[in-house]
Amino acid sequence: MKKSSSRRSPGRVAPRAATAAQTPRGRIHPVVIYPFRQPADLGHLERLYAWVGELAGDPGTYARPVTVVDRKTHHANAASRGYLDFRTQTAAVCSDLVDAWCVDTCQMWYTGLGQAYDRGAAGDVYWLIPGDFNYGTPVGQELLGRLHDLPEILLDLDQDLCVGEIITDHNNPKQLIDTYGTFALLYTWFPKEAREIREYTERPRSEFFAIRHEFLGEVLRQRWFAYEQTVVTLLHAVFQQKRISRFCVGEITDLHDGGETLASALQQVERTERVLKTLWRARHEGDPDWIARYRLLEQQSEAVRRTAQILLGNLLP
Amino acid sequence: MTPRTTIKPINFICMAPQAQAVSLVGDFNGWNVQSHPMRQGPDKSWTATVDFKPGHHRYAFLVDGVLTLDPRAQGITRNDQNQRVSLMPVS
Repeated sequence: MKKSSSRRSPGRVAPRAATAAQTPRGRIHPVVIYPFRQPADLGHLERLYAWVGELAGDPGTYARPVTVVDRKTHHANAASRGYLDFRTQTAAVCSDLVDAWCVDTCQMWYTGLGQAYDRGAAGDVYWLIPGDFNYGTPVGQELLGRLHDLPEILLDLDQDLCVGEIITDHNNPKQLIDTYGTFALLYTWFPKEAREIREYTERPRSEFFAIRHEFLGEVLRQRWFAYEQTVVTLLHAVFQQKRISRFCVGEITDLHDGGETLASALQQVERTERVLKTLWRARHEGDPDWIARYRLLEQQSEAVRRTAQILLGNLLP
Repeated sequence: MTPRTTIKPINFICMAPQAQAVSLVGDFNGWNVQSHPMRQGPDKSWTATVDFKPGHHRYAFLVDGVLTLDPRAQGITRNDQNQRVSLMPVS
């Protein structure tokens, strides 16, 4: 199919017109996760916040954006004039800053999504926007032109969760981690649900997603993990037969050149395994035979993790 | 900015050279299999053009009676019958 692209020129966020049925639509709550490491080049952040400013200027469609800043980031840059100026003169102008001590990125998500949820209402949707991408590049600007689709899909098609998928080639480190780590472990601990997740997305750890108020409320009340929360949210969506969509947001690279070292990749695989084991136990520890099943799965999981270690060792620096 | 009430013609193409019949189904035609038959061209691809309002739309190809995803679609979702279908943004 070739059709008109939904891309809007970055920096031009079109206000949404009323639907034909004139039914009231929920508001969209943008939640920006400020980069953990302050980039030396502020160009990408400036581009991102110029766009966030456009969102803030359309209060009929968007709630006031929220920016979550890890206190460690703040203290590490407290003497940096560039950071302080950007914080006060840009980020704080178009969004509400939420400062929080966070053990990892997913706790920043929890804090930001939780704060937005407390301000939201039934029918609203929440939109996670990671700050550490190279938004100033042509690819990054293309991404900014497509991101708006994620929350709009929830509203237009009455969905519960929309995952933004980043297209990469098969040799991309993140893709390799997901292929040999994330999915292999998912097929071990939650095979039925993993099959369904893969029918939607090849990137179950995506940091781009939008989620409906009612489902977010359920997810926030579940145990929240410090990492790999997208995988957990997708699993809860499948457990509860929620309406899931996937949308391609473009082909992008991380700010830090997108490369992953073997050590970083193995850490991500180990984290995923830890989260899946914990979630499996939480769902099954009431079963009479759970410990025998758990031991068997743990053995299989260890074999999967070791295989991932070998393969990623062959493929990553 | 494009007003969201503007109608846009959208071109669809389905590569199914061996198929006997292909139609386009979606929310826009109530998933009616007879409403939008696609036409096969000299290169054996099947095409159709449909006007859409701005927004996000669900659709699929029906290839010899089999619901088929569009490999070029920007997204995937499910229809009201819980079948996997393609997702298209129109701005």
